[in-house]
Amino acid sequence: MDIFSGLLSGFQIILQPINFLYCFIGVFIGTLIGVLPGIGPTGAMSILLPTTFGLSPVSSFIMLAGIFYGAQYGGSTTSIMVNIPGEPSSIVTCLDGYQMARQGRAGPALGIAAFGSLIGGTFSIIALMFLAIPLAQIAVAFGPPEYFSLICMSMVLSVYLARGSFVKAIIMIIVGLLLSTVGMDLVSGRPRFTFGCGTLIDGIGLVPAAMGLFGVSEVLMNLEGSLEQTILKAKIKNLLPNLQDWKRSIGPIIRGTLLGFPLGVLPGGGAIIASFVSYSVEKKISKNPEAFGHGAIEGVAGPETANNAGAGGSFVPLLALGIPPNVVMALLMGALIIHGVAPGPLMIKQHPEIFWGVIASMYVGNAMLLLLNLPLIGLWVKLLKVPYRILMPLILLFCVIGSYSINNNVVEVVIMIVFGVVGYILRKFDFEAAPLMLAFILGPIWETSWRQSLIISEGKFSIFLEKPISCVTLAFAAFLIITSGLKYYRKTKTKVIIE
Amino acid sequence: MKKYHFIPTFFWLGLSLFVMMFSYRLGLGGFHSPGPGLTPFLLGFLLLLISLYVLIKSLLEKERGDETPREGQSRTNYGKIGLVLVALFAYSFLLERLGFLITTWIFLFLLFRSMGNRWMTTWVASTSTVLATYFVFTFFGVRFPPGIFGLGG
Repeated sequence: MDIFSGLLSGFQIILQPINFLYCFIGVFIGTLIGVLPGIGPTGAMSILLPTTFGLSPVSSFIMLAGIFYGAQYGGSTTSIMVNIPGEPSSIVTCLDGYQMARQGRAGPALGIAAFGSLIGGTFSIIALMFLAIPLAQIAVAFGPPEYFSLICMSMVLSVYLARGSFVKAIIMIIVGLLLSTVGMDLVSGRPRFTFGCGTLIDGIGLVPAAMGLFGVSEVLMNLEGSLEQTILKAKIKNLLPNLQDWKRSIGPIIRGTLLGFPLGVLPGGGAIIASFVSYSVEKKISKNPEAFGHGAIEGVAGPETANNAGAGGSFVPLLALGIPPNVVMALLMGALIIHGVAPGPLMIKQHPEIFWGVIASMYVGNAMLLLLNLPLIGLWVKLLKVPYRILMPLILLFCVIGSYSINNNVVEVVIMIVFGVVGYILRKFDFEAAPLMLAFILGPIWETSWRQSLIISEGKFSIFLEKPISCVTLAFAAFLIITSGLKYYRKTKTKVIIE
Repeated sequence: MKKYHFIPTFFWLGLSLFVMMFSYRLGLGGFHSPGPGLTPFLLGFLLLLISLYVLIKSLLEKERGDETPREGQSRTNYGKIGLVLVALFAYSFLLERLGFLITTWIFLFLLFRSMGNRWMTTWVASTSTVLATYFVFTFFGVRFPPGIFGLGG
């Protein structure tokens, strides 16, 4: 199927009333949870995962994907109006967006964020379409050694891109991989680290782990501080940016798109990294970098475009290779597997309706989001007035329902609480949960491919170097480890000398 | 190296030793036919090496007199955190015994009230949330436990 007829069939799928409705529900919920701080796309998708069991695979994928990219739109609203990022990829938007709002320019800030998101989002869908198909065609020939090396590189990249300490990120990767070994060993059939708990035979569930690490621990962190937040009482007017705003924003929007998409494709990267990189690039090349942090529209346009372009990009490894690059994509993969569809190089051929249906739904969804976010912005801002003392019990309840209803099993709730406490303690000691989660998700594919490779080669490690793709990716991973290790070594050495 | 950084290091050390022992008993096999314990054993070994490196490095830094007491730590509101955790554990214990409707209502009532909402808000918010979540989720086919009173199974 060529791209044109594929896209046409995709539009036929999305224009069916039921799919159109689920697309709308998805982007609506996405915007909602993007606006509400304390619950991100991961939480919302986990809660809604059980509700999609009764839908067709296409409808459920369309809705869940809508939540993900919808949240990227909604997240900017809280950053600009309250100075609290609705979700992590809007953190940098706070810096200039909130300052613009304080100067009475909330309208243009929200407007340029929405337009930038639309441009970045649309470009990334086009690029996704052109990249995923040839990549999947190459990936059909991939064997266990290639998968092993690719996953190694993803994990190394996530360490390289982690904001905190290098050693701590490596520890998190190892712990994540260890957690993924809990459960029945697929090769020998023996239970590992289950300690007689029947629920653990299938391994630790992704949903309770993710909700604990990202939902419950976030609530616990928030409980430490004051529960009240101040919302700017500014009237929002002139949502459409003027000519001067556009002139200043068009460069950042183009650069944000071009940077954001490849950063989203890289496993371990994604929308969050894309927004940070875009902000620092804009600040670096700006003629007056001192304006950044004081309401420069470039600081809103660039990152907000980049995070949407990155969100689109992160679909590439999932759809073409079957490797989820982040937690959200892992949940989408989980949803597909529940419906009996295995994401990976063969999916585009075997289930073209899912691939093209989702691509077309993203075009439609992005247009819906612009309509939802610009004329209805007042409604979303009103929603911000819901105080945290009301929101917090609701977030906890949704976490509990989400982890319970996956298997109707209370033990999953207990696992979620334990992960919540662990996530809270990790944050207290400055360990990031994201690399842990990535390793936990990729762990089973990683271990299987490494053991299969060794069995094929009868224990010879040279198998990883004989295959060209595997050799190149491993070399790249080794290069990243060595450079960041050296950087870490030099940093600690100079610290000691200074002291 | 600050004193409190020793706590996680010792924890990782203990964890790595435990994992290595446990996976050794699972059976390591060999590289030609890896057993179920091989991967966790190697991961545990890597964790051991890294935590030993961190420990030695921080001990050396300590000898250089790098120990700095932690100051200016604001008082953390551990009371509320403890309450939320107790509520969560109690919820998971009671959910299948008392059923979804009753347990959830008590859970929400307790949390709304302890977060400083007024009585009226607490009553209205917990009752309406229980009913709304119940109807929305059962509409989508999610089944909740009815409990001993057989309410809303």
